[in-house]
Amino acid sequence: MDEYAVVIATLNHTWFGAELSPETQERLARLGELQDFEADEVILQEGDDAREMGILLSGRLALRTLVPGRGPVTILSVEPGDIFGWSAVLADTQAQSTVVATEASKALVIEGTKLRAALKEDHALAASLYPRVLKAVARRLRSTRLQLLDLFAR
Amino acid sequence: MITSPAQSQAAAARQWFLAHENLGALVEAIRGTGRRVIGPTVREGAIVYDEIQTVADLPAGWRDEQTAGRYRLERGTDDQVFGYTVGPTPWKRFTFPPNLTIATAHRTNTVGFEQPAPDAPPVAFLGVRACELAALAIQDRVFLGGQFTDEDFRARRAAAFIVAVQCTVCSSTCFCTSMGTGPEIHGGYDILLTEIDEGFIIQAGSPGGAAIVAKLPTRRPSHAEAGAAVDSVEAVRTRMGEPLPMVGVGERLKLQLDHPRWAQVADRCVECGNCTMACPTCFCTSVVEKSDLDGKSSTTERQWDSCFDVGFAKVAGGDFRARPRDRYRQWLTHKFSTWWDQFGSSGCVGCGRCITWCPVRIDVREELAAIAPPVAPVVLPVAVEPVAASPGSYSMARLASVRPETEDTSTLTLTDLDPAFLAGRPGQFVMIALPAFPAVPISISRFGSNAIDLTIRAVGPTSTALVNLHPGAKVGLRGPLGTFWPVQEAYGRHAVVVAGGVGLSPLHGLVDALVANHDRFESVSLFYGSRTPEDQLFRDDLAAWSSGKAIDVAITVDRAGPEWKGRVGVVTTLFDMISWDCSKVTAFVVGPERMMQASVQGLISKGVPADRIHVSMERHMECGIGLCGHCQMAGRFVCKDGPVFRLNDLGDMFNREGI
Repeated sequence: MDEYAVVIATLNHTWFGAELSPETQERLARLGELQDFEADEVILQEGDDAREMGILLSGRLALRTLVPGRGPVTILSVEPGDIFGWSAVLADTQAQSTVVATEASKALVIEGTKLRAALKEDHALAASLYPRVLKAVARRLRSTRLQLLDLFAR
Repeated sequence: MITSPAQSQAAAARQWFLAHENLGALVEAIRGTGRRVIGPTVREGAIVYDEIQTVADLPAGWRDEQTAGRYRLERGTDDQVFGYTVGPTPWKRFTFPPNLTIATAHRTNTVGFEQPAPDAPPVAFLGVRACELAALAIQDRVFLGGQFTDEDFRARRAAAFIVAVQCTVCSSTCFCTSMGTGPEIHGGYDILLTEIDEGFIIQAGSPGGAAIVAKLPTRRPSHAEAGAAVDSVEAVRTRMGEPLPMVGVGERLKLQLDHPRWAQVADRCVECGNCTMACPTCFCTSVVEKSDLDGKSSTTERQWDSCFDVGFAKVAGGDFRARPRDRYRQWLTHKFSTWWDQFGSSGCVGCGRCITWCPVRIDVREELAAIAPPVAPVVLPVAVEPVAASPGSYSMARLASVRPETEDTSTLTLTDLDPAFLAGRPGQFVMIALPAFPAVPISISRFGSNAIDLTIRAVGPTSTALVNLHPGAKVGLRGPLGTFWPVQEAYGRHAVVVAGGVGLSPLHGLVDALVANHDRFESVSLFYGSRTPEDQLFRDDLAAWSSGKAIDVAITVDRAGPEWKGRVGVVTTLFDMISWDCSKVTAFVVGPERMMQASVQGLISKGVPADRIHVSMERHMECGIGLCGHCQMAGRFVCKDGPVFRLNDLGDMFNREGI
């Protein structure tokens, strides 16, 4: 099984990739690059240009934000099948949080300019990808809203 | 000639005695009506069913010895004609022949197909046992009970005159009492025989049977003779021992499709198909085309087939049951489980042929016990009568230890207490008091053999005073109070526990119960969310549960520092991990109400039925017994109608503002 086949097989086991057409899976796999991250490796830094989006295939990432006086706070963990660096879908944006691998991880990483160009020219890809990115963002919004409620506060 | 039980009962009102030496008259009388008589006869070391010319063909004096994989005939000490059980021949051989031409075709000037008319001359089956009558009735349902019918079977069945024989002996392989098919015969025959020392008690079960009996040299049986017949059949029931636990076996099998035993039994199975050939109810067939060499005429022959056959489930693209374990599973689950779905009964009658004639001694009774053992009867618990129920009266308990859980929460272990508290159920609570402090309701978080745990967060004067007590201190208790988690409702299902923050406390006892009985559940899972890693309760227990195999534990926190390597996100994000059929989930949820609402929404959107979700509600309580009115929630008192509620029972009161 070549590298792309491994990526496609892995995508099939994620909520993000499971129902994509084989053509779109193939397109995505070939757009991106399979990258391994070591534990504690910083993948994206909060405030930097959002230069790439990734689909986590294995491992775990932490989305951290710096709170003055409290240091970096993990606000969400990214589990296999979820995306990170989604800001790269938009041009000229900055990463909203720092992405750190909390354990050895593997992801399909797609460079932002390539991704945006592909979405612009390949409408089938765009029609498949945008709703999923939106779903990922909506899940985070819902999650963040519940976190903001601080349900377990004393 | 098929008789209904009602017809049989009406016609069998009178019994007669037929001496052994007059059995030939019965054979002759039946043959005199133009019927061939098929009955038991000794052939090649076994008692098989074949044509009987005279009574001398019957195996008088022969006995059989049957165990798994073994069949032996030997001479008995008397001349009983039916002193053996069933042999290798099922009666289906005569109602559903192993080979049958079902069509012919020709290709001469034109192409044509012809279906032969059923050829079913009158016949009598002599010596049909209770299990075999049940098997004939099962094949009646298979071949005649649905939209499409087998007319050849119908003709052969209608042409058969049934002389049944009640068993007065049994083999070690017999289990008709377990399948509810014998040894007593209650209908479905034309004539019924029960053999006793001197002859037979004979009774008719149809007008045709009565006409034959009327021709025989019979007399009225003595009271002792009639009683001996009943006793000898009853003795067979006793000798077969305790029936197997067949109630619910169909459902239990459906839950065990991935049991490792399927592979183990398949390693022994040689796939000879003997069990299906000897089985009196197996009905699978294949068709074979036989053509002349010039291709001008052909016949289509239906032949018995077996689901053990390697190619039985094969299609052009592959074989659906390629592995022996798949084929064994298909056979056993069909017999004892899915047959019910298709035909309204088990496909097994307990004749034991599949056990005797298995060359490698596979015994279905052992396989069923290993794969789908009975679960102990479910005894629904009732709440123990609380002690010191009325406000102001307290039962004393001693504080054995205080164990800090978090910065503001501690677990108190109380001992020297009334046994009623030990008999409480997970989900129940106590009212606990100290002098000068108002009583507060606290869930029992753990039940020990002589102690209970209360996990208390210091949020008010009483709770703060409680967590600051020292071992040896005395406290007043009332309870146990309220409703409890309906653990039994989750038997055979996926038990899912969702806890938020200190909500794990009223769930701890439930998790203990689920872990202790994990074999009763399809799976057991705990999803636990807390504000930060430091806010987690019962960290040692969480670690122990996580390292065991009885429960899957998933933990998340709302926020964490960089040292936390686990999941971060609200507890509902853990539901992404659910991969099973959520219609089979029973969920138990506790946490802040807003968290419970989000969790309930998440579970329902996954497909968990609302009536399978249980929640524990929190309200201000002072009396704990529904008298003070504080804890009212719409029409319910949370203290005595709850705190554990089925979500459906709360209706739209759940999470409604201002209730």
